[in-house]
Amino acid sequence: MAVATYLDAISQALREEMRRDPNVILLGEDIGAFGGAFKVTRGFLEEFGPERVIDTPISESGFVGAACGAAIEGFRPVVEFQFADFIACAFDQIVNFAAKAYYRWGTPVPVVFRGPSGGGFRGGPFHSQNPEAWFTHVPGLKVVAPSTPYEAKGLLKAAVRDNNPVVYFEHKHLYRRIREDLPDDDFVVEIGKANVKRAGADLTIVTYGAMVHESLEVAERLARDGAEVEVVDLRTLCPLDTETFLASVRKTSRALVVYEAHLTGGFGGEIAAIIADQAFDALDAPVRRVAALDVPIPFSPTLEDAMLPSAASIHRAAIDVLEY
Amino acid sequence: MVPPSPDADRLSTTAAAFLDPALDRTAIAPDVDEDATPAEMRSWYRTMRLTRTFEQKLASLYRQGQIVGAVYLGTGQEAIATGVVGLLRRDDYFSTVARNLSGWFHRGVEPKHVFARWFGKDIPPSHGRELGLFLADLPNFGIAPYHNGSMASWIPSGAGFALAFKLRRQPRVYVAFTGDGATSPGDFYEGLNFAAIHRLPLVVVVESNGFAYSTPATSQMPVRNVADRAPAFDIPAEIAFGNDIFEVRRAARRALQHAREGKGPYMVEFKTFRRRGHGEHDDQGYVPADLRAFWERRDPITLFHDYLTGAGVVPAEALDDIDRACHNLVEQAVDEARAFPDPSPDSVTQRLFA
Repeated sequence: MAVATYLDAISQALREEMRRDPNVILLGEDIGAFGGAFKVTRGFLEEFGPERVIDTPISESGFVGAACGAAIEGFRPVVEFQFADFIACAFDQIVNFAAKAYYRWGTPVPVVFRGPSGGGFRGGPFHSQNPEAWFTHVPGLKVVAPSTPYEAKGLLKAAVRDNNPVVYFEHKHLYRRIREDLPDDDFVVEIGKANVKRAGADLTIVTYGAMVHESLEVAERLARDGAEVEVVDLRTLCPLDTETFLASVRKTSRALVVYEAHLTGGFGGEIAAIIADQAFDALDAPVRRVAALDVPIPFSPTLEDAMLPSAASIHRAAIDVLEY
Repeated sequence: MVPPSPDADRLSTTAAAFLDPALDRTAIAPDVDEDATPAEMRSWYRTMRLTRTFEQKLASLYRQGQIVGAVYLGTGQEAIATGVVGLLRRDDYFSTVARNLSGWFHRGVEPKHVFARWFGKDIPPSHGRELGLFLADLPNFGIAPYHNGSMASWIPSGAGFALAFKLRRQPRVYVAFTGDGATSPGDFYEGLNFAAIHRLPLVVVVESNGFAYSTPATSQMPVRNVADRAPAFDIPAEIAFGNDIFEVRRAARRALQHAREGKGPYMVEFKTFRRRGHGEHDDQGYVPADLRAFWERRDPITLFHDYLTGAGVVPAEALDDIDRACHNLVEQAVDEARAFPDPSPDSVTQRLFA
């Protein structure tokens, strides 16, 4: 066991997979000598060389398409977007090529797209977004959003070994803030399995990514006031593990869905719909959502704080649902 | 059909814009480097004739409502894919779309299987999920999966296949067939830029047919030729007459050798003309009559037929026999294609993930 940050965990997963499988290659902007904008690949060029750690020109669609071609030919490319926001430039290659090739022709495209996502660190409109719902709408993609170092490492290793395109959202506000002891052995976290992060009988919070930590903070606070909150970390959005959160809601009879992306059309709306559809008779209160306001993510701290969900806004919504 | 006007060769502005008179010819012949045997030449003729016959049948079935959706033909462009694919090695890859049916046939794809795709039948690899024009079958034919009808979109993935070849030290080449209109989207630049930086074995074959759907090249690009864009990548590019199969082979041979020797990407622009609409729903009202007439007198199959018979390489009767055999093969292929089963509705949710 050794302590690792969320960022360390991602680096470890990549390094271990590259040592294990010579077909794993990395493509991205400034990932070589510079080690990546967030230093996830620091030292990789020295260890694996320029044929496996490929600094790309600033052309996301181009290197995503290239990664897909190499993937079909037997490589296991991991593409780093410098910021998840820039994945918009490669949208077409991901949703119209990578996602559909297996359905159309039976051709697997084993490629991982790493998107450093999320706000809360004053990145402004183009360095703070949570674009997971753009991809959960596309059949053929797997979408994961780890919340802890253990899951960041285990899900990334699982993604590299998966035969399908996996969009992997790593929340950059967790990079150096969250740390834990990681096992020394080679472990994976299975894609498609949610995890109950905290047990409770009074309210279910369904969440993922950075909001898991805010939700756990709220659960601790409510516990001191006598309410036991169960926190379900989805970990994977596609394919979705509905059973874990439905079982929890059937137990607590109250559900709050928390996500950092914009409210409208966000993935949490799908969770709320599934609960309404499949656990309606278990509910004692309406399903509520806490999410970011439907405006771009502004730079100024007072503005950003006013639009992102927070422990305070989750707490207020949790009380509403508990007291309904 | 518009009859040729007496002065048909004095082209309208639009028409003159895309074929340099120096490239034009109304008779073709091999050069000294052409080493193809008469049997090989017969096989090119057969491929081109089979393609034309197939497409005529396809259009007829579409007009009768027996094929749903839309169909897309490459009438008049048959020499290009026939010539290029004929020079590929078995382990080379290429990607095409509807205009390059001749490349599929020359590679060995059976007409009945292409018809079956158009009928939406349950046959591998698509099992009715994809239109007949989107053919990809890597294991059997080296026809690479690609993206969609946006023909720039497979330049990046082509660069990726070529990257795989290079990383594995394999002397293989990826050929991306594309069109003049497809050289406007960003993917064209992003893919070629990446390939040029890494000197990847990528050959880009541009079938410059003058129109992107209905929009003439003059409204698509500020340069006269797609090849004029190549200096941005510091790669060689040449322009050739795409209706002359010997010239197609001359240019393609240079391109393939360059790529195979590890010198990086190579662009060949073939001037040609699509004599049908973008799809069969398109009556080509945007094509000037003189332009249509000009290219009808430069039909690639007729040019090749006239060479083969005029030079005594293959007797006219032997070519007539090929024509009849192609006709019979196509008719039989339609019947065989109809006999394949339709996909089960239950299969619609299957095979989403590998």
